[in-house]
Amino acid sequence: MQIEYTYTFDIPREHVWKYIQDEQVLKKSLPGCQSFQEVKEGVYHAEMGLSVGPVKGLFTGEVQQVDQQEPAFYRLLVRGKGKPGEIDAVADMKLEEEGQGTKLICTSQVQVTGVLASVGQRVMGGVAKLVLGQFFKAVDKEMKQLMLPS
Amino acid sequence: MTKRTEISVTVNGVAKSTEVDSRMLLVHFLRDEQGLTGTHIGCDTSQCGACTVLLNGEAVKSCTVLAVQADGGEITTVEGLGDMQNLHPIQQGFWEKHGLQCGFCTSGVMMASVGLLQQNPDPTEAEIREALEGVICRCTGYQFIVSAVQHAAKLLAESGSNAVDQGTVQVGEGS
Amino acid sequence: MAGLVGARIKRKEDPRLITGNGNFTDDIKLPGMLHAAFLRSPYAHARIKRIDVSEALKLPGVKAVFTGADIAKKMKAVPAMWFVTGADLKPKPRSPLAVDKVLYAGEAVAVAVAEDRYTARDALDLIVVEYEELPAVVGQEAAMQEGAPLVHEDVPNNLALVWKAGEIPDEVFEQAEVVVRQRLYNQRVIPNPMETRAAVAQYNPGSGEMTIWCTTQNPHIHRMVYSEVLGIPESKLRIIAPDVGGGFGAKIATYTEEAVVGCVARELKQPVKWAEERSEHFKATTHARDEVIEIELAGTRDGIMTALRVKNTANLGAYLSTFGAGCPTIDFGLMVTGAYTIPRAAVVTYGVYTNTTPTDAYRGAGKPEATFQIERAVDLFAREIGMDPVEVRRKNMVQKEAFPFSNPMGCVYDSGDYHLTLDKALEMIDYQALRQEQEELRKQGRYIGIGVSTYVELCGFGPSKVAGAIGFQGGVWENSTVRVHPSGKVNVYTGTSPHGQGTETAFSQVVAEKLGIPMEDVEIIHGDTQSISMGWGTYGSRTTAVGGAAVAIATDRVIEKAKKIAAHELEVAEEDLEFSEGIFQVAGVPGQARTFQEMAKSANFAWNLPEGMEPSLEAQSFFDPSNFVYPFGAHICVVEVDGSTGQVELKRYVAVDDVGRVINPMLAEGQVHGGVAQGVGQALWEGAVYGENGQLLSGTFMDYTMPKARFFPTIETAFTETPSPVNPLGAKGIGETGTTAAPPAVANAVMDALRPFGIKDLDMPLTPEKVWKAMRNGGSGE
Repeated sequence: MQIEYTYTFDIPREHVWKYIQDEQVLKKSLPGCQSFQEVKEGVYHAEMGLSVGPVKGLFTGEVQQVDQQEPAFYRLLVRGKGKPGEIDAVADMKLEEEGQGTKLICTSQVQVTGVLASVGQRVMGGVAKLVLGQFFKAVDKEMKQLMLPS
Repeated sequence: MTKRTEISVTVNGVAKSTEVDSRMLLVHFLRDEQGLTGTHIGCDTSQCGACTVLLNGEAVKSCTVLAVQADGGEITTVEGLGDMQNLHPIQQGFWEKHGLQCGFCTSGVMMASVGLLQQNPDPTEAEIREALEGVICRCTGYQFIVSAVQHAAKLLAESGSNAVDQGTVQVGEGS
Repeated sequence: MAGLVGARIKRKEDPRLITGNGNFTDDIKLPGMLHAAFLRSPYAHARIKRIDVSEALKLPGVKAVFTGADIAKKMKAVPAMWFVTGADLKPKPRSPLAVDKVLYAGEAVAVAVAEDRYTARDALDLIVVEYEELPAVVGQEAAMQEGAPLVHEDVPNNLALVWKAGEIPDEVFEQAEVVVRQRLYNQRVIPNPMETRAAVAQYNPGSGEMTIWCTTQNPHIHRMVYSEVLGIPESKLRIIAPDVGGGFGAKIATYTEEAVVGCVARELKQPVKWAEERSEHFKATTHARDEVIEIELAGTRDGIMTALRVKNTANLGAYLSTFGAGCPTIDFGLMVTGAYTIPRAAVVTYGVYTNTTPTDAYRGAGKPEATFQIERAVDLFAREIGMDPVEVRRKNMVQKEAFPFSNPMGCVYDSGDYHLTLDKALEMIDYQALRQEQEELRKQGRYIGIGVSTYVELCGFGPSKVAGAIGFQGGVWENSTVRVHPSGKVNVYTGTSPHGQGTETAFSQVVAEKLGIPMEDVEIIHGDTQSISMGWGTYGSRTTAVGGAAVAIATDRVIEKAKKIAAHELEVAEEDLEFSEGIFQVAGVPGQARTFQEMAKSANFAWNLPEGMEPSLEAQSFFDPSNFVYPFGAHICVVEVDGSTGQVELKRYVAVDDVGRVINPMLAEGQVHGGVAQGVGQALWEGAVYGENGQLLSGTFMDYTMPKARFFPTIETAFTETPSPVNPLGAKGIGETGTTAAPPAVANAVMDALRPFGIKDLDMPLTPEKVWKAMRNGGSGE
C-alpha cells in the first residue's frame, strides 16, 4: 500500500537535511525505538516496539539511506521483522523550501506480511500516519534543541 | 512459567476457588478447567459471540474477559440456563422455532438473547435483529433465531418472570 | 406412526445442543492429551532456508516440535480425490507440512506439541524460520501469462487443468440476431462455518489402532485417504465426526493438519488435540468460487436463446484440494444452460495454480457459479432486446411435458415444473404491481430494483458409474443399516455425515413412519467409521436423496422380514397380512395380529422362526441411484439502492423451491433461509481480498463481512413438490438452493435498480463503495 505524509518544519532546509539523517536525532525521535546503531555507512540497525491496531510486537530491522541528493531528496529503505510479520518499505523523502521553513513530503510503498497483513492492514494507513506524525514532531523538537546556541 | 493467580467465582450457582494462569481467558477457564464445553469459541477477534456467557447478569464475550477479571463474579453458562427437565424459555424458543442448525453458535446466541430480553422483555423484530449484532450464525439466516427469541419473550411474559432469574440449574460439584 | 413425513417436527438433535451437551471435537478431553499448534508461513511464496526449533524445545511444557522435513519421513503426501478426466490434470499432492518451499501465506511449516494450548502457541513464537522470499502470483489470469512466477516449477503457465465440453463454431455467434457478451467475476469467498477445524488423535501402540475425531463432512473419505497417508490399514483406523459445527463444503477436504495430528500422536504415544483458530481458518481452510467467467449468449430478437459459449478461468489456489478440480469443471460446466432449453452450449475451463489458499467446494460448488452466469446472461439478453426478463425466462424454460429433459451437456433433468415455481414466486411478490411501484419511485429519485433468478441444480451425488467416468476417486452410493433391538427400539446407521442439517430428525421421521413406531424409538447413528461400514458423506445435497433412500430401503427390508415372522407365528400367508401403524394384522380377522415390537423380540430370540431364516431383525441397503436429482425453483428479490451512499438494502426476498418430496417443512425452510443468507452474503458483502504479494487482507471477521441478523428482512418461502423418480422417497436436495439462486437474484435486482445510471454489470460483492462509484461514473465500480 502507498502511504503519503507531509510535515512542515519552521526550520531552514539545510538544517532539516543535516539533522534528519543524524543518528542521535533519529534514535531519540523514532517512536518506540529501543536501539538504533549505524552498522555501516548509511545503514542502521534498529529495534522498535510498534503496535498496529490489535497487533503489537518488537520489530528489528535495517534502515538504509540511499540516493541522497542534498538538500532536496533521499530515499529510505526499511526492512523490519517481528513476530507479527514483516515490513518492507521504500520511502521517498522530498524536502522543499517553504518560506523560511521546509516542507517534507514522504511517499512510501509499504508491504507487510503475517498477522500484520491479515489483521493490521485495515488500520495500517492510519497507524502509519500516526507514527510518522509522532516521528516528525519529535524530530522537530530535537532539531530545535540542537539549534539552540549552547 | 506464567504467573498464577487465585480466583473465586460462582459458576452456575456453584462457588469455586481455584488458581489460574493470569493470562487465561475466561472461555478457556470455563471449557478446559471447569469442563463446561457448552460455551464455544468461534473466532479470535471477539466478533462471533459464540462464547457469550452471563457475568454478573450481563452478557459478555468470554473470549474477551480474562479469568482473573471474573474474580468475585457470578457466571452463568448455557449449562446453567436450564436442563431438559427445566428448560429456560430461550431454550424452549430455540427448540420450538428451529432456532439452531449445527448448534455451534447457539449457546452464545441464546446467552446474548437472554441479555436482550432482560433489558427489553418485549422486543420488536427489528430490535431483536439489532441486538444480535454481536453474534454470527452461519446456518440459519437468523430468521428462526428471531422467531425463537419472540417465542421466548412470549413465554417469559406468560410466566411473569425475568430472563436472567430463569437460569437456575446448578452444574458441577457442590450442586 | 402415520403423518410424520411431511410434518413440522421439532428436532431430535436440539436437546443436547441447547443445553450445552453437544460434543464437538474441541470439547473432547482425553487423559494425557497434548496440544498441537501449527506455525504458518507469513509469505505467499518463499524458499525455506533454515528452521531452528532449539529455543522452542527449551520452553517448559513443550513436548516436541516437528518441521516439514521431520514429518515427511513419517507420513506420505496428501493427494486430491477428484482427477477430472480429459482435463490434462496436473495434480500436486501436498506434503503434510511444507519442506523446501511455501506456496501460500498460511501454509503450515512446523508443528509444536505441548502440555497445554497456551504453551503450544508460545512455542511457535520461538521457532526461527529463515525464508527467501520469491515473487508471488495471486490472480488466475495473471498466473497464466508468460513469465508469471510458477507456483509449481513443472507446471507451465500454472495451468493445472484444461477442461472442454461441447463446441460451437464462431459462425453461430456471427450469424445470430443478438449476442450478449459479458465478463463476470464470481469472487473468492470463504465458507467460514462457525466451528473451525479441529482434530483429536489417539494411537494405541500395542494394537496399532488409531482413532481420529475430526470436523469432517465425510469421515469415510478421511479414513480412506488418511489410511494411505499414515500407513495405517483402514481396518485399524477409525474416524469419528462428533457434533460438527457446520461445514458448507469447507469440511469435505482431507486436509494435511488432521493427518499430522494423527502422525504426531503416534510418534509421541500420547493423544494430541489441535483446534484451529479463526485467523488460521481464514488462511488454512479452503476458499471457494474465484472464477472469471466470460460468456457469449446468442439469441433471437423475439427472446429465444440459441447458443451459449462460456470460458471459465478458475483459481485453484496453490494445491489441488480434495474436490477442487471438480467444482469449476463438472459441477459448473454441465449446468451452464440452467433451466433453459438452449440447444447448444460449449464450455472451456482453465484451472490455474496461484499463491493463494486452495479452493474447493462451498455450498453448491460450481452450480452457484453456473447459475450466476446464465441468470445474469438472461437479464443482459432481456435488456438488449427490450423484453421483460420474466418473459424471456418463461419463453425459454423447459416445459413440464419435456421431462426427463436432456440438456446439451448430457445431463438428464429428472422431473420438474419450472413455470409453476416462477409463477408462484411472481404471485407472492406481486410482480406487476412492483414494476409499477418501481416506475413511480424512480420519478421520486428512489432506486428500486427487482431481480429474478430461476435455477436447476445437479444434486444428490449420484450414480457411482458416473463418478467413475468423471474421475471422482470414490463411489457415491450410500449405505444404511437398520438394526432392531429385542425391545423394538431401532438404531439406524447412515454413511452420510450431517453437521447441522437435522438429518437425525428427518431420517427418524422416515423410519418411524414406515415402522409405525414413535420417533423416540429411533436413533440415527452417523459419523463413525467403526459403526458404519462405508459411506460417502454429506455434500452435494445428497443426504436425503441418496442416504435417506438407503434408510428407506433398509427399513422396508426390516418390515419384509418381520412380516415373514408374523405370518409364520400367525400361521397365515404373508399376502394375508396388512402392516399399518406398527401392527401386522390378518386382513379381516380382528385379534389376529402381531406388533412390530413383538416381532423384534421374536426375531432376536429366534425361538420360532420360519424354516431357514436367520435370527435377528436387521437389514442393510447399499443404494446407488440411477441418476442425479435436479431441484429447481425461482427466487425474486427487491432491493433499494441509496442514491447518496450506494448502500443496497434488501427489502423483500421470495424463494419458491421445488426439492421433490419435503420430509420436514421446518427443516426445509431453515435450509432455504441459511442458504439465501449466504447467497445474499456473496452478492452484497463477502469477499476474500488478497494483496499483490499474496497476503490475505480479509483475514478476520473484522475485515470479512459475515451476514448479520439486521441485514435481512423476513425471507418468504414456499415449496412446490414435484417428486423425483430417482429414489423411493421422491426427494431431491435442498441444502444448496439458496446459495445458488440468491447471488444472481440480488445482482439482477441491483443492476435493475441501477438502470437509470446506465450500469449493466458490476462485480460482486456489491458494496456501497463500488455501487456509489459506479453511480458517479456511470458504469464501472472500479
